[in-house]
Amino acid sequence: MPMDMELEALLRPPASQMPTYPPKWITLATGAKMVVRQLERGDVPTLLNAVRPTMKVARDYYDIVGARLYAELLGWYRYRVKDHYCLAGQVNGALVGIVNGRMYTPEIGMSYHTLAIDRGLRVGAHLFAAKMEYHLEYLGQEEVWITAESPIGFRRWMIEYGLELKEGMQHELGGASFYSLTKAIWHEAKPRLCVGSRPVPRELLAKAELEIRVADEGHILDKILGVKGGD
Amino acid sequence: MRKVAIVGVGMIPFGRYESESLVEMLAMPALRAMDDAGIGDRAVDALYVGNMAAGMFNHQSAVASALADYLALLPAAADTIENGPASGGSAIKNGLLAVASGYYDLVLVVGGEKMRDVIGPRATDTVATMTHPTAEYIYGVTLPSLAGMFTRLYMEKYGVTERHLAQVAIKNHNNGLLNPYAHIHASITQEGILDSPHSVVNSPIVSDPLRLYDCCPVSDGAAALLLCPAEMVAEFKKPKVVIAGFGQATDTQTVQEREDPTDLKAVRLAAQQAFAMAKQTPRDVDLAELHDAFTILEIAESEHAGFFKKGEGARALEEGRTRIGGDLPINPSGGLKARGHALGGTGVAQVAELVWHLRGEAGQRQVKGAEVGFSLNFGGFGNNVTAFVLRREA
Amino acid sequence: MKELVAYRCKKCGLIMYPKHGRCLRCKAREFEPFEAEGDARLITYTDNQTLPWGIDDRQRFLGIVEFANGVKAMGWLKVATPKLGMKLKPHWEPVRVMGGEDVYGLVLRQGK
Repeated sequence: MPMDMELEALLRPPASQMPTYPPKWITLATGAKMVVRQLERGDVPTLLNAVRPTMKVARDYYDIVGARLYAELLGWYRYRVKDHYCLAGQVNGALVGIVNGRMYTPEIGMSYHTLAIDRGLRVGAHLFAAKMEYHLEYLGQEEVWITAESPIGFRRWMIEYGLELKEGMQHELGGASFYSLTKAIWHEAKPRLCVGSRPVPRELLAKAELEIRVADEGHILDKILGVKGGD
Repeated sequence: MRKVAIVGVGMIPFGRYESESLVEMLAMPALRAMDDAGIGDRAVDALYVGNMAAGMFNHQSAVASALADYLALLPAAADTIENGPASGGSAIKNGLLAVASGYYDLVLVVGGEKMRDVIGPRATDTVATMTHPTAEYIYGVTLPSLAGMFTRLYMEKYGVTERHLAQVAIKNHNNGLLNPYAHIHASITQEGILDSPHSVVNSPIVSDPLRLYDCCPVSDGAAALLLCPAEMVAEFKKPKVVIAGFGQATDTQTVQEREDPTDLKAVRLAAQQAFAMAKQTPRDVDLAELHDAFTILEIAESEHAGFFKKGEGARALEEGRTRIGGDLPINPSGGLKARGHALGGTGVAQVAELVWHLRGEAGQRQVKGAEVGFSLNFGGFGNNVTAFVLRREA
Repeated sequence: MKELVAYRCKKCGLIMYPKHGRCLRCKAREFEPFEAEGDARLITYTDNQTLPWGIDDRQRFLGIVEFANGVKAMGWLKVATPKLGMKLKPHWEPVRVMGGEDVYGLVLRQGK
């Protein structure tokens, strides 16, 4: 369907200049090397294939996180979210986790979601830290606003980082009073919680960039739920 | 006392169960154990269920009565046995004594826990209710933190290092890869959990010096055994595996009241009793399933049970003696570290593992020619410990 | 400290904390209550970074100490860097909220 570009111009938010996140690599507990890198708008259709199955998983609020992340990525793809970014973790090209957020103002970062597809290897912890690193060290922001949908998220981000409660204030995702990661908190927490090496060896990066491999739905559900039984 | 044999064994993979209730989860290995023995419709005289905290995890009590009903074992006697994480060991003990005394002939022992109905920190809190309410619990002490305090002293006294601890984890994860019942099927590397600068996030401090990969996972899981008098074994056409020895001992509830906090007195005594009853020594043992809820415990228990001198367990590990293929394989199942730790399920799963090895049915992880096995189930922080010596007999 | 009451067996002198119904050594049943006194020496400790549900602290140093008069107890170490053998001063302060109420316990600090 032909697009009314005049109207579209009104609906599309203007994009700000955002420095890119320099890729890094992390050795996981298994010894596998995970590449953490910034993805582009054109990668979204592939990412949606990975997010879609998670919307069926009520456990640990994966369905809410999945549905919202799906909408955010789609919004970015179709130019409906301003200054959105997405970082991903890949092992041998395979997508193991996604984090996203946006530049709310030049000073304030808005953290959206953290989705670990491969669980039990601290992928979510690594990627959340990378997201915070992007906001505070590459976008040069003063603070990041963070909220959690799940008790696990609350425990991990609010308590492990020691975030500052913004009593009575609202995050873009709504929900309860949110928390803020300030530069001071970041510098205290960074040695414990944010790791990675740069530059990424050329071959390792090339493998990640060549293809974002997404496991099939059954495999993703199996990795997330890890449920046994049906005897 | 009559000699007691294990004629049926059953287990379900440890991990997380969503669609099955606790009782359904316990029933699965029970049916497998009954089928393994081939008892058909023959009546079971009594049922003992090892479970620590269904009241807290699943809001259910009187689990043994519910299981007896679900499995149509009625009117069999049924008791739930609670001894913290050694509930499984205590349930087997009750079955053993009941058959040995001559009171019952056919006894089903089931151990299991469904911990993943609650989130991790709640499970940690539930397990911590084993500690002294006013002298320990109120401070936020957890079992990992008691183990952390123990580890600090053990390292100082015996030269155990973080590297040794990582070696226990790596060995047991590798063993777990060979065990279809294991909760964790992932090989881990020393680089990933210790040497790489990235390891601080991969294996963060849980309660120092213990890190994430020094601690067992929180598991759902269950296992079952069918016991009978040894003279009845011929009726079931199964290799004869007997419970040759049993021991159990307690120690102070609080760690602070122990004269030497690095001495696991209850482990020593339980093991000694089990070996004395079996008329065997630690040197006779072909494989051991120890309670490695924390990596340090595998090392410390291997010494306290008498396999190695105090301070030499870490060296034996380094030399590969405790790997499958070594002279004393420890935790070929993957142990609590990789097979998983389902509280009340653990002690029964340990003994089930021994039976498979003694029968030669342990698949890829089989300890060749195993004739004598040892298991140790550690309750509280070592304040209530059970030990078993199993033997294959002609 | 008056809040931390230990028990000395009237028959054999064994010091016990917490309370027991019979002496751990000689099985006698009569005890003389007395207060933990003096500096507390750190026997062992851990940095607990995975606290249970109900405590939202990121970490706590927990340790076992021995008071000058022989009482051994667990407590919350409010020190920057614990060291085995260090001398600490006991305080009785809230350590946990249970059922909406502060629960008091042993807190140990350096200095006064």
